[in-house]
Amino acid sequence: MILLLGLFAGGHLNADTPIAVEDLLKRSYLDDYHSNVVFGYRIVTETERYGARYSGNRLRCTNCHLGAGRRPDAIPLNVAGMYPKWRSKNGRRNGIGLRIRECFVYSLDGIMPPEDSPEVLAVAAYISYISHGEMIGETPEGRGVPTLPDTGYDPNPANGKAIYDTKCGACHGVNGQGIPGIPPLWGMESYNKGAGMANTKKAAGFIWANMPLGQERSLSHQDALDVSAYINMQIRPGDPRSSKLLKLFESVSGLVD
Amino acid sequence: MRYLRLLSEIIPWRPSLAGKLNPSTEAFAALIAALLVIPQGITFAYLAGLPPEYGIYTAIFVTLFASLFGSSSMLGGPNTAVAILIGITVAPFAGRGSPLYIDYVILLSLMVGLIQLLIWLARGGKYFQYLSPAAITGITTGVGIILILSSLDGIMGLSPSSTLFFFEKLYFMAADWRTLINPHSLAIGATTVFVGMVAKTRFPRFAILIAMAAGYLVGLVVLGIYTQVETEVELLGHIPFQALPLSYPKLDLEYLLVGLAMLPNAITIALIGLAQSMVIVKSLRSDTDQAINVDKEVFAQGIANSLAAFFSSFAGSGSFNRTAVNLSLGASTPLAGILSAFAVFILIAIFGPLLSFMPMPVIAGTLMLVGIGMIKPSEIARLFSWTGELLVFVTTLFSIIFLGLQTGLIIAFILSVILFVLSASKLEINITKGEESVEIRVEGHLFYASIDQLSSLLKRHRYDSVLLDLSVVSYMDLSATEAIARDLQKRDSDETSFVIVLKSQRLLDHFEQRLEGMPVQFIQQNE
Ligand code: HEC
Ligand code: HEC
Repeated sequence: MILLLGLFAGGHLNADTPIAVEDLLKRSYLDDYHSNVVFGYRIVTETERYGARYSGNRLRCTNCHLGAGRRPDAIPLNVAGMYPKWRSKNGRRNGIGLRIRECFVYSLDGIMPPEDSPEVLAVAAYISYISHGEMIGETPEGRGVPTLPDTGYDPNPANGKAIYDTKCGACHGVNGQGIPGIPPLWGMESYNKGAGMANTKKAAGFIWANMPLGQERSLSHQDALDVSAYINMQIRPGDPRSSKLLKLFESVSGLVD
Repeated sequence: MRYLRLLSEIIPWRPSLAGKLNPSTEAFAALIAALLVIPQGITFAYLAGLPPEYGIYTAIFVTLFASLFGSSSMLGGPNTAVAILIGITVAPFAGRGSPLYIDYVILLSLMVGLIQLLIWLARGGKYFQYLSPAAITGITTGVGIILILSSLDGIMGLSPSSTLFFFEKLYFMAADWRTLINPHSLAIGATTVFVGMVAKTRFPRFAILIAMAAGYLVGLVVLGIYTQVETEVELLGHIPFQALPLSYPKLDLEYLLVGLAMLPNAITIALIGLAQSMVIVKSLRSDTDQAINVDKEVFAQGIANSLAAFFSSFAGSGSFNRTAVNLSLGASTPLAGILSAFAVFILIAIFGPLLSFMPMPVIAGTLMLVGIGMIKPSEIARLFSWTGELLVFVTTLFSIIFLGLQTGLIIAFILSVILFVLSASKLEINITKGEESVEIRVEGHLFYASIDQLSSLLKRHRYDSVLLDLSVVSYMDLSATEAIARDLQKRDSDETSFVIVLKSQRLLDHFEQRLEGMPVQFIQQNE
């Protein structure tokens, strides 16, 4: 009886969940709504191709929003129900669009797309799509990255370098430059100083919960903080808000090579 | 025999077809044409609701195929009216710029190309000569006004507020300018327009390039001081440029259903594209001694738009302004167009990355400049001399602005036909009274619609001797000879005489046969 109930519940759940994006990809024709969702998925997973117009480095959204934005504790993107929200920064209520545009400017060190560009609208559609089942206005489980408890010690970049060389360098490269398939952590092809990942605490939470890939949560909290501090001490593109002329020069010279 | 002629029109142009070929002249004209078409391609892609690279591809591939299969120095490629219509047609079916939208544009371009190929098979090129110059002026003026109004969004930094009527938009802007208008965008856009207007007085050909360069520099300064994040000035962004951007029209049932819904507009686009090209071809034929084949040009437009669907391009047509520049630089063969496609390719490969930081207000400013350029006061003033033409112009213009471009175009086509029939059925009749005979000299087409004028005149002079001078009548149908025959039967042939003056032997034979045994004499007037 319980089994049957379970089956019934399971079946019901299935009928209610939307078609997986991976299944949408296989269809030859999609209506406007679903094709937009799929476009959003493609921008998130192959940013260098589908989001090329506005991205400025070699990162993809999915490099930080793991599993195409569907993994908890890796800044999942199932957050449509949390927007619009008020921000002190510009004293306005901002929709999900602004958040997407900011990741283009900072995390992808690119150009800010307009609010109504096809790219932003598509990612917003994708975000709504994968937010199915979340409670509107209630923080989804595993939103953002875990906040690490205060260890009582300051971050130590020297220890961070040692950890980096033993645990991360094999994948991300000795100079953090990345290799094909694995994103760069610093250098001019990585996120800029205005990005969320440039915040040592946030990056530490991300690294602790998600890195080294395959051995998640194996670092101690302090080690995660140290390696995060080390990474964020390295050279990377400037914050587009502060180093204005420099930023422009950086972008223009970046075009030449 | 007929098929042989069709076959000969399919064969691409080759240098041996040109009597005298001056490759360096053509190459220089090609380079300038490429410089001019790049901003137009990007701007018109924006008009059509597509990412900028599609405009570049159109500037390469549609130009290439239109010249390769054409016979003249006309330059094809992205075109304003066609781009606006593509935007209007596809917008109801998918979000602007989304992949589905692009699929539909590709399908639409193929449809436009195929319709034009059908017109080619039906030998339809000649009918475009009926489009009255007044209607054409009405269309270009209307498109110019549409361009100016749609450029306001980008110049002011508004997000596209697509209101149906332009005065609504102006009202919104006036009422809410404080929150709507982005001062940084306005500074950049206004500079572009201002520099463009000034440059136009000194370097009319390159005004748009100069304006773009100025806008770009002001943009760099503004972004250097305030950054894009603060100002929210929209930038063009990176243009992902591929050497061979292959695409194909999707033909699933769902796509075909949308295609069917787009069919009426596809026909309008095919017609307006050809109409513009044929006007250019006509003027090239009368102003130059290029070996132009009108039907071959129709084929070239059709095949270029059909192939556009396979090279990530959208439908285009002949371009007035680029052809004019091309001509002034001495290009006289399709080679200039072919080379300009390659020049666009090389220029974009080298300088494309610099375009990433092109502010969109500059693109919008360019649109406004193009729009202003399309409104030609001197041409409009000329129309005031004849009420018929003026009426066609005003009706076309107002229906484009108030009823939309598609409706306006259809009205323009219909009015042209009406105007043509009206003017064709009007006879110019000169009467000189002699002592005992009347000389009636007729100019125009003598056919069923115009014959009444003549028969009532003949009736009035039934008791006079008549000299009917038809020597400059170019066309005559059966009802004309019949009407004359009817009148002859009622005449008093003893008292008066009836003489017809004709020029061509063909008409003479025709009359002699029909008026056999009647009291009439003929005079054949030789040239
Ligand atoms: C370098 C890593 C990185 C990349 C690449 C990146 N993001 Fe983010 N993103 C972050 C971080 C870190 C945050 C959290 C910022 C915060 O909490 O302030 C975030 C937050 C977000 C949020 C808000 C999430 C929430 O919980 O409200 C959205 C939406 C978003 N990103 C979209 C994107 C999109 C779309 C892309 C690709 C175009 C992208 N991001 C690429 C790091 C990244
Ligand atoms: C097994 C290989 C591997 C190891 C070891 C590894 N990473 Fe990663 N890392 C990845 C991959 C792959 C991604 C991108 C994830 C994706 O696209 O799904 C990534 C993403 C990241 C990101 C976010 C994207 C970016 O470029 O900023 C950070 C930060 C990061 N890793 C830090 C680390 C740190 C710190 C370590 C060592 C503690 C580490 N990684 C170890 C493979 C690895």
